[in-house]
Amino acid sequence: MSGEHYLIIGNGPAGREAAITLREKAPQSRVTVISKENVRCYQPHLLPQFIAGQVSEEELFTLPFSFFKERDIKLRLGQCVVDVDFHKSQVTMAHKEIIPYTGLIIAVGGTPRIPERCHRYRDRMLTLKTLTDARMWAEKLQKVSSALIVGGDLTSFALTRTLLAMGKRVSFLLNEESLWPVRCDDQVFREARVKLEQGGVEALRGTIQDIVRRSETSLEVTVDNKTFETGIVGAFYGLRPDVGFLAGSGLTIERGILVDEYLKTEVDNVYAAGDCAQVYHPGLKDYWVSIGYGNAENLGRIAASNLMGEKTPVETPQESILCAEGVRVNTSWWLEF
Amino acid sequence: MREQSDYPAQDGKSELKVVKQVSYSTDPADFHYMTVNVPCQNACPAATNIPAYIRTLFEERYSRSYELNRIANIFPGVLGRVCSRPCEDQCRHGEPELGRPVNICHIKRAAADYRREGHIYMERLFAPLGKSVAIIGAGPSGLAAAHDLSTIGFKVVMFEAFDQPGGMLRYGIPEFRLPRDVLQAEIDSILRLGVTLHTGRRIGADVRMEDLLRDYDAVLAATGCYTSIPLGVPGEDLPGVYAGLEFMIDVTSGKAPRVGEKALVVGAGFTAFDCARSALRLGAREVSICLRRTEEDLRVTRDEILEAKREGISIKSLMLSQRIVGQGRAQGVEFVRTRPESVRADGKREIAPIQGSEFMEPCDTVIVATGQRSTPFDAPGEKDRHGILTPLGARGARTSVPGLYVAGDYATGPSTVIQAVAQGRRAAEVIAEDLTGGTRRQKAVRMEDTTITDRSRSWDYIQRQEMPTVAPMAKRLGSADIEVETGYERDAAHEESKRCYLCYLHYEIDMDRCIYCRYCIDVAPRDCIKLVESVETNEAGAIVGYKETTSWRRVNAVMIDNARCIRCGECARVCPVDCISVTKVELVERLSMEGGQ
Repeated sequence: MSGEHYLIIGNGPAGREAAITLREKAPQSRVTVISKENVRCYQPHLLPQFIAGQVSEEELFTLPFSFFKERDIKLRLGQCVVDVDFHKSQVTMAHKEIIPYTGLIIAVGGTPRIPERCHRYRDRMLTLKTLTDARMWAEKLQKVSSALIVGGDLTSFALTRTLLAMGKRVSFLLNEESLWPVRCDDQVFREARVKLEQGGVEALRGTIQDIVRRSETSLEVTVDNKTFETGIVGAFYGLRPDVGFLAGSGLTIERGILVDEYLKTEVDNVYAAGDCAQVYHPGLKDYWVSIGYGNAENLGRIAASNLMGEKTPVETPQESILCAEGVRVNTSWWLEF
Repeated sequence: MREQSDYPAQDGKSELKVVKQVSYSTDPADFHYMTVNVPCQNACPAATNIPAYIRTLFEERYSRSYELNRIANIFPGVLGRVCSRPCEDQCRHGEPELGRPVNICHIKRAAADYRREGHIYMERLFAPLGKSVAIIGAGPSGLAAAHDLSTIGFKVVMFEAFDQPGGMLRYGIPEFRLPRDVLQAEIDSILRLGVTLHTGRRIGADVRMEDLLRDYDAVLAATGCYTSIPLGVPGEDLPGVYAGLEFMIDVTSGKAPRVGEKALVVGAGFTAFDCARSALRLGAREVSICLRRTEEDLRVTRDEILEAKREGISIKSLMLSQRIVGQGRAQGVEFVRTRPESVRADGKREIAPIQGSEFMEPCDTVIVATGQRSTPFDAPGEKDRHGILTPLGARGARTSVPGLYVAGDYATGPSTVIQAVAQGRRAAEVIAEDLTGGTRRQKAVRMEDTTITDRSRSWDYIQRQEMPTVAPMAKRLGSADIEVETGYERDAAHEESKRCYLCYLHYEIDMDRCIYCRYCIDVAPRDCIKLVESVETNEAGAIVGYKETTSWRRVNAVMIDNARCIRCGECARVCPVDCISVTKVELVERLSMEGGQ
């Protein structure tokens, strides 16, 4: 085994594919994946079905532990990186261990974004990003008959379908902050409303003023000047890159870690992939983020290949790409609801 | 030089008791120790004794906590609201594996909020000197200088161009961040020292420098930075385009500027944020702050960013303005996208425009808050290319004209309130030295033997207490003078004060008594206790490094690295032979009887 140590932070689709690619291209090197979550890589897009009981927990996982063991990919699950020193090429863990690396791929994905305006009552809203979140939803849904979905992103529409299938009454609140990262203007609102109401969802428009917990199974929500009760409030304002540990590290972070078209950051041996990367596109002369499971897998493979010396650019975004607040995204999921 | 000032222990017959073992040092090695081991105080331009005021607040001695602040920074109530908080960036609690910095600034405000009503300022006053100093500009720097010069015994006369004193504090910071009664009370605490204040008197127009130089023993120019720097792009003269500082002066003077529906603010500092938040209160429906760099590079506090976002302001990054367009009024700004380039010597990245990436941001109001500089006035002496008097000497207060001094933003360019205060105090020190031939105040390291504190290890895990703010948003934005941050409740302030690691406590192992059991190393929360083969010292004799060893045969000492120590006290608690001592070490200002006439 060579002395090289490739480190991947993040165990989502991008991190997993990066690890597999690195193992293929550097068979003699150490490959380590660090993940905050203490479960192996799963398919987050199946979480709504898991909540409904249509998919078992085991079916969520993509690969067995044996797969990684056979390939000598070390999984360090339930461990958290708190700092990266790019000069010394080492990361500091929350448990104070310092791990040196030869090359680093940051694939930490995103964490649910709660607009600053809503911080006051964020503890009264549920998000759905991780398996832990999904378990929480499954437990709560056993006790309530209604749910209010606010914000609205890819996951929220899938979850809404699930809730309807479970016989729950669902309201969907749309406003300017909805349908991240697309700006919800009048036309988009009309499109989304038609789709939602066709599916049996009550579509509302307005802004939450407050959420008050009345009991374990009842929340009182004030939207503009109207107050009503619901069992659960789900917040789906999209994601923000989970890169707090990189603050002040020297990497440029805007809506993600800025990388070039080869996914390389400003530091030579450091790449970023998946939802946490904001990729420069020389054709567009702009940055874009790619979201979704398949895209993340692809970026993970490209980042690993380029870390090993290849020069593969990220593919041109598809024509359906949209531009929102300076970020280009390739999705319009509400049309598929 | 070390000076003992304790009461000597007696043989039991005397009535005198040992109250405190205190010594003062001006040894450079001790000053070096302070810079490395009390990073918050070292980061504060005014050298505020932060661990001490946090500890006194923990003891619910709010007035004393306020005084400990005031001794160094003059305006605790003001700075507890608007300080840029360089101390928090250096707080040990913010180091990678330790969590988030202590909310030092908000504790300062709590000290001001909860001090006794009618508490007496602990001010040591020197006898009148029969000499006078004119100060031009009653901003934070001028006022700080006025305070110090008055206490030393000078007759101080201030000339202020605006109608009221306070400078940028009053005319640059909106009332929703700094209530005017708080500001006025702290200005009054300076004026009560016998300072004469003339308002509405502008240097060059209403007051002539040659008259001042003739009539006073010294003149201090602290006129601040009031000339806005334009963007330098076409269209900047269109109606609907405002210079940030002028915009804020209008807002704070009650002359509400006309703001449209959609405002773009170009800039990255406090002024840009104040303009954006004020524009929202003036009726703009959509306000964006446009940055050349990213949010990460902003020069404002995290709280400021959070509150701006809560109010609905969006922050747009990586864009550089090219021109302002519009027919008869601003209707949009053309930007190009930027990208980060190589790292400069100052640690910041170069930002380069991406050619061909032009895009338009529609708007009806543009506020340019990209900076300001000093305004020149008629005065003799050496000046720079903008006509600003050149500061000379290491402390930057003297000019080439004897008796004429400069301080604050006028001398340094735009800075923060705490920097301006520190500058003003430094200028006062220089003036006093020049006019009296000696120093009146002297920095020293005060050392006091102490026992281990009652600080519990579990306090390390207390979450940072967030500042409560006005809710709901409609109430907050409904009026421009409602203070957004409502201040800590006493309990929250007390809880936050527990988080401080009290870095002014110096832990040391007495090697004559150490039995090398290594219990202390076992309980150390980080690599703060070292097995040392040898130490490295600098010219001043201060320890600047350790040669560690893992071989027992080479161990010459077990040492506590106070630069890594978080003063959790665990080592002292487990030591079976009680060989770890604790000393309270503070950088203080002592009154000096040296020199003077």
